[in-house]
Amino acid sequence: MKIFFFKSIVILFLFLVAYHYSINHTIKLIKNEIENNFSKESLEIIKIKLREEMKNAINKESYINKEDAILINGFLNKILNDLKIEK
Amino acid sequence: MIVNLNKQKKTIFLVFFYLIFLIISLVILDDYGVHIEEKFHRLNGLYWLNYIANLFNFSEVKLITETKISFISDYTLSPVSTYNKYGIILDLPVAILETILDFEDVRNIYYFKHLLSHLIFLASSLAFFKILEKRYRSFYLGMVGALLYITSPRIFGDSFFYKDVLFLSFFMFTIYFFIKSIQKFNYKNLLFLAFFSSICTNLRIFAILIPFILIFIMIIKNFYLKEQFNFLKKIFFYIIFFFLLLYIFWPYLWENPIEKFLELFLTLKDNLINYKIYFNGNFINNRTLPDYYIPVWIFISSPFLITILFFFGFGLCLLRVLKRYFKITDHTKYYDLWRGKNEEYDFIFLIIIIIFFSLFLFLNAPLYNFFCLVYFFNIFIIYFAINFIFRIKNYFNKNDYKYIYTFLTIILVCYNFFALVKTHPFQSFYFNSLISDRVKNNFEGDYHGIATKHFFENILIQDNNKVIKIAVASHTPIQRGVEALPEELRERIRIVGQEYRAADYIYKNNISEVDAYSNKKYQIPKNFYKFDQLKIDGTILYQIFKLKDSN
Repeated sequence: MKIFFFKSIVILFLFLVAYHYSINHTIKLIKNEIENNFSKESLEIIKIKLREEMKNAINKESYINKEDAILINGFLNKILNDLKIEK
Repeated sequence: MIVNLNKQKKTIFLVFFYLIFLIISLVILDDYGVHIEEKFHRLNGLYWLNYIANLFNFSEVKLITETKISFISDYTLSPVSTYNKYGIILDLPVAILETILDFEDVRNIYYFKHLLSHLIFLASSLAFFKILEKRYRSFYLGMVGALLYITSPRIFGDSFFYKDVLFLSFFMFTIYFFIKSIQKFNYKNLLFLAFFSSICTNLRIFAILIPFILIFIMIIKNFYLKEQFNFLKKIFFYIIFFFLLLYIFWPYLWENPIEKFLELFLTLKDNLINYKIYFNGNFINNRTLPDYYIPVWIFISSPFLITILFFFGFGLCLLRVLKRYFKITDHTKYYDLWRGKNEEYDFIFLIIIIIFFSLFLFLNAPLYNFFCLVYFFNIFIIYFAINFIFRIKNYFNKNDYKYIYTFLTIILVCYNFFALVKTHPFQSFYFNSLISDRVKNNFEGDYHGIATKHFFENILIQDNNKVIKIAVASHTPIQRGVEALPEELRERIRIVGQEYRAADYIYKNNISEVDAYSNKKYQIPKNFYKFDQLKIDGTILYQIFKLKDSN
């Protein structure tokens, strides 16, 4: 009984340690990732960066190179054509 | 320099020792500020006094408390009717005394509470002294331990601000009677233990673990003692009194005890703070703190030498228990994990710190405001540091170099006194001397707004205007700190929150509930310049920014 008691205590403790450094630790990592990427502050940073990028784009002479412009133009036209519904 | 006095002389020495500390406390009491939660705690005390007055029909008390409550207002103050689960161990008696003594100025109530809190802390050091004296059979080591306990810089500074040091003090009394109960498992000791452990649980719910730890240790002892019936009878007695006293001390439970008690645990996660804290130069969420949060805080904010001694003392005691564990057999003459009373002390301290530290670690405790929630770990830090000093003493006694041990203890105590004087009255922000100024400022600072008193006094000296408008670029509701000033000076201060355009000055510290790097909520406007700051031993407690156009 005594030996069983002491062994059970140690096994329970080791189980808790293993749980903490595996599952608990992973949950914490995921929570941190979500917090860092999707928190209000992170979204605010993205918004600020987008605004800056847009301002840079306006100031530049050509923001998209010619080849990409042709490709995007063609792709958008294709999408618009496919979206046309006969009345 | 081994002190060897008879009992009477020791008592006189102790009385003299505490008298000195009492005088020091009375002299320096007024130097400390008022922290931001004092208003809430006063409200808490008056709220529950009003509740009791209602219940027992004390019409006069009811009227007085209602009037007092109606005068306490603050737009940032949480309503007590919602946040009513806080302990009332100090708040309620102070509310009663406030009603009886009829303090004229609210400032006096706060400082009276500070004094009470500090006196309880000093009294708890006596319990610590008693434990150490019995454990090491040395008056000198007991005194050194009590001195280190009292003069731990952060703890000493915060001992005036009740909350966490109040818990530490009652935890100390609990440990004292815990050890007494383990060694003499009688009804008297168990009743005292039930009394103090229920107070601890009232102050911090995680102290509910104490009865479980008691049962755990008594089970281990009982493998040897084999007194099952006696053991069960006394444990039952303790549990009954523990819950009975908890019920008596906690008016929150009076109406519907079982449901409300369970609710404490069920709503625990929602009631705990959830925001960003500044840790190691980054703003991190306090619900996903790294595992090293507590060890890092303890290391940087405790005197370095004590931390090192603790590390060795703790390590050696743990090693001894592990060795004993691997030698457990079915039939032994001794307790399995310790031998004799002295080792029993070490085992009790070891098991309590391991269980509580594991609890905080495994449950991802959402800590904040440095490690104040676990200030009670300081008891264990000093205990194991003294344990290692004792080992050094024994080693040098054999080698006739006992002066080294005396020298070491004097160094430890002197270092603490030096730190107390150097950082006075801001000991709550002490960092050990190995930490650079840059690193010090990478951690949370004045969460409780203790330096706001200094800030207001500073501004009032430097600005002669009749009304001074102050904005706040931090998550500290500094308007609550105004109450630390004499009444006539309070009217000159007007707090305008984050309305920077309306302000003459901006108060700033590094407390922010949002990531201050990306969220510009607390960014200082360009028309303000840095006017002044308070720097204590390299730690910036606050900065003042002044409007460029203002005189």
